[in-house]
Amino acid sequence: MDPRFIDVLRPLVKTANPEATAITADTDLRKVGIDSMQAIELLFSIEDTFGISLPDEDLNDSTFATAGSLWRAVQAQLQQHDAGASGKATA
Amino acid sequence: MPDTRSGAGPALSVTLAELDGLPAHADGAEVWRALGRADLIAHAYRGGDVAAGVDPAGLERLLAAVDARFSIAATLSMSVQLATGLPVLATGSAPIAVEALDHAVSGEATVALAATDVTAGTDLTALRTEVRIGDDCLEVHGEKNWIANTTTAEHFIVLARHRDGRHFTHFTWVLVPAGAPGVTVRPADSPLFAASGVGHADFDAVRLGRDHILGRVGMGLPAFARHIGTERLAGALWGVALCRRVLDDTRRRLATRPHGESTIWELDSVRQRFATAVVRVRQLQALCRLLEDHVADRHDAVAAATLKAAAAETVDHVLGTCAQLWGAAGFAAGGIQEVRAQAALFGIGGGASELVLATVADGAESVLAALEPAGIRP
Repeated sequence: MDPRFIDVLRPLVKTANPEATAITADTDLRKVGIDSMQAIELLFSIEDTFGISLPDEDLNDSTFATAGSLWRAVQAQLQQHDAGASGKATA
Repeated sequence: MPDTRSGAGPALSVTLAELDGLPAHADGAEVWRALGRADLIAHAYRGGDVAAGVDPAGLERLLAAVDARFSIAATLSMSVQLATGLPVLATGSAPIAVEALDHAVSGEATVALAATDVTAGTDLTALRTEVRIGDDCLEVHGEKNWIANTTTAEHFIVLARHRDGRHFTHFTWVLVPAGAPGVTVRPADSPLFAASGVGHADFDAVRLGRDHILGRVGMGLPAFARHIGTERLAGALWGVALCRRVLDDTRRRLATRPHGESTIWELDSVRQRFATAVVRVRQLQALCRLLEDHVADRHDAVAAATLKAAAAETVDHVLGTCAQLWGAAGFAAGGIQEVRAQAALFGIGGGASELVLATVADGAESVLAALEPAGIRP
């Protein structure tokens, strides 16, 4: 996972020691305290940090289940974004 | 200290004359029409554009102007529309949404922001109102309770679930015309808030085109989270205006009410109680100045919750103090005790105090870090 993604995620972790909490692809977002309000903040932070919008079909609980599932959705948008940008550059 | 922020200036004071033509008992819809006729509604937004977000200075001036002239119920009707209703409506880009927004900004129509369901307002993700989204149409089922502007609205802006479960992505805003088949409205049995048009709305298989979806499917709660912050800011700004007005009325009464060789105002015990209330309202105003841009520009949920919690406490303290100082006269019809009962709204509407304090607790770590003097942080 991209370090910037971890940086966006970590401030929202509500464990006893957020800095020491390992964030891996398997990290269950609910179990580290990311409830609805924090998940909304997370969504906006991702969109602001990476300059992307998650598509409607990714707006569901499966996407927001783990750090890995969310990162995959973000990564897919980043790849589309990059492909679009390089397509424009070579056009 | 004079307000030197940008925003509506002299033009606002000139056009406020439109409001002076209304009786003090005018209801929220009448006040809204007058605001629209005078082109005042746009003053609440940056550059007059609802989609650009609220301008705290312009919003504050409108709230103070309406609070000074009309009932708390009428001001509530306006505040909800300015702070939340119109900004959520502005997330719609379809012609029907654009037309509804134009009608509202011109004062021709009111809108009702229908978030609170039959379930507890503090448990929003449990709401039951449902929108079934088909390929080319929608169907809305459910019931919304205690919604301001229900009895006057041209449109309801309805928060509905499009999927079962509590996940924040399961909710969507829908624009529902009040006249659509299947929509029934009932006024709430509330003498205190009748002038706000408060009521209950039923949606019984209301069929609409897909263009009635506001914003994106699944972004209902994120949009609400952003705009409810503005409503909390509006509540704090209004709280300052309300407390200032009530304190001013109270001081004038105390200064003319004989007591012994002088007036009640000269009693030390009265002056100290009064001064404590003045300090409280200045604290709230200072907090508004400190945090208003955090809410308006950055959608800072903790800042908005802090303002909401502080406004509820301040209004309760100041109006409680003033009510005591008014004595028996405070129980007159329309007196301070009635205002105090209506102002209990500050601790309930737009997020109960317990709910917003939970948000403050969630953000306590960052708030405390920000309180450290510069140069100490590692």
